Amino acid sequence: MLYLIELWETVREFLATGGFVLYFVAFALFLMWILMIEKYWFLAAVYPKMKSDIVAKWDARTDTTSWYAHKIRDAWISEAAEVLNARMLTIKTLVAMCPLIGLFGTVTGMIMVFETMATQGTGNPRLMASGISMATIPTMAGMVAALSGVFFSSRLDAKVKMAKAKLVDSLPHH
Amino acid sequence: MKQFMKSAAIAATLVLTAGISTNAAANQLDDLLKQVKADRVSVAKLDKKREQEFLSARADKQSLLNKAKADLKAEQARNARLTKQFADNETMLTTKEAELEAAKGDLGEMFGVVRRASGNAYGRIATSIVSAQYPGREAVLESLANAKEIPVLSELEELWFAMQTEMTESGKIAAFEAEITQLDGSKSSAQVVRVGSFNLVSDQGYLNYNDDQGLIQPLGKQPAGGIVSEVSPFLASTSGYSPLYLDPSKGQILNLETQKATMEERFHQGGAVGYVITVVLILGFLIAIERLVFLGSIGAKVKSQLKDTSSPSANNPLGRMLNVYNENKNIDAESLELKLDEAILRETPKIERGINIIKIFAAIAPLLGLLGTVVGMIGTFQSITLYGTGDPKIMAGDISMALVTTAMGLIAALPLILVHSIVAARGKSIFHILDEQSAGIVASIAEKEKQ
Repeated sequence: MLYLIELWETVREFLATGGFVLYFVAFALFLMWILMIEKYWFLAAVYPKMKSDIVAKWDARTDTTSWYAHKIRDAWISEAAEVLNARMLTIKTLVAMCPLIGLFGTVTGMIMVFETMATQGTGNPRLMASGISMATIPTMAGMVAALSGVFFSSRLDAKVKMAKAKLVDSLPHH
Repeated sequence: MKQFMKSAAIAATLVLTAGISTNAAANQLDDLLKQVKADRVSVAKLDKKREQEFLSARADKQSLLNKAKADLKAEQARNARLTKQFADNETMLTTKEAELEAAKGDLGEMFGVVRRASGNAYGRIATSIVSAQYPGREAVLESLANAKEIPVLSELEELWFAMQTEMTESGKIAAFEAEITQLDGSKSSAQVVRVGSFNLVSDQGYLNYNDDQGLIQPLGKQPAGGIVSEVSPFLASTSGYSPLYLDPSKGQILNLETQKATMEERFHQGGAVGYVITVVLILGFLIAIERLVFLGSIGAKVKSQLKDTSSPSANNPLGRMLNVYNENKNIDAESLELKLDEAILRETPKIERGINIIKIFAAIAPLLGLLGTVVGMIGTFQSITLYGTGDPKIMAGDISMALVTTAMGLIAALPLILVHSIVAARGKSIFHILDEQSAGIVASIAEKEKQ
């Protein structure tokens, strides 16, 4: 319990030194990971059943070579791909946005620094230090958030493509 | 020879003149002789008289001299007497001073202590906001701090009383009526609440105590809304506890707050580039909202059409494509596909319109921010050229423009990117239904009808 409180205090301190932009980074990171976990779960638990349904429906057909059969097959694949690809664009966008949010934090932090310089002069570097930490910490946080997303989102993308290719392969014209 | 010639000339002349006026000259000389005789008598009289005058004056001067001598003697005697008296007094003074020092004893030390203490107390009490409630306490302290004599008992009591008041009052929350001087100089009376020696608050928010003029003034700019909003529930509460933001530096932090720029001021610091970015953001959002509404309604109609493919309606793209099939039921598969492709080509622009503009706006916004940065830096370097780097405050204006536009570019770009991804995903999903699935739907309907 005490450990948790300590951890929470560390997080709070981090948020306080990093400024309000960290909340945006945290929100983007949170949303990104929720979407990615949902996608992993979908690929692992929901999609296999969906795939076997489609394959069973296809295998049950007698006609699989006519123009109609081709079009129906294409439609099913497209429907499956639609579900597989849902929200992948949002995940990729969020990954791309994280460093931009970090950059936003850099700029607001530098605004703070120059505001301090304008009102207090350059005599006291300690006064400027809070602005500088508000400039650097969100940048770092944005980078870390993006890096944590880049690997898993590209893995996810490959998995989705693979799943679609496997579906196409398992619907042969017989 | 020469001598001889001269004497001869003089003798000749005398002879000549004597010969001419012998009778007249004899009378005049007699008169002159008489006159001289008479004059000699009167001059002798005059001399006699003057001599007598001198003699009498000499007697006077002698008596004056005697008198002056007597005076000198008297003064010398007085001088001696006074010198002696002065010396006596001097000795007595020394004795008395020694007596005084002996009599004062520890009181001398107390004098220093009182002066130091009242000087300290004056500094603290004059600037304390307790003086807003109890004005006029500092006058007696100031006179004590600058006094040259040992303070009397009543003054010491005043010092004690002032310090005790400050101590007691700094631990209290007190409400009192006071005159508030507005920033435009007008005065009004209002209920003011003093929290210890930290802050003055009223229904106008936080107040400032100007100790130079002894005025209670509202702050030039109140701190952020969340901080000020605690004030009125605090003023309204009569018992129990109520939260309030305090300034432990007794007003300094509040004064620093007033120097900070508000969001609106920051926005205007962006200048022309900032306004352009705002326009880009607003335009992008308007287009995105229009697209979301349009694609949402189309998507809903397509979804409901997907559930019920038997009765195609002309109000949605999928229905129109199914209509194409219904109108051309009897043609071969190849021609039907061509017809469907044609129908898709007709529908595509309506769905994809505007999505790319959002993307372009999202890309433009940070570039505009960069433009603002460069413009601001140009201004900064111009002011460095003119004024040098000595005063950072001169450069601050342009630097803040550079930074604010960058921030605004990012602020505009981030939601536009997000909204573009949402709109693009919507558009793509509808397009996929039309492009890849409509033919399949048509095929399955055709299969059913054949059976």
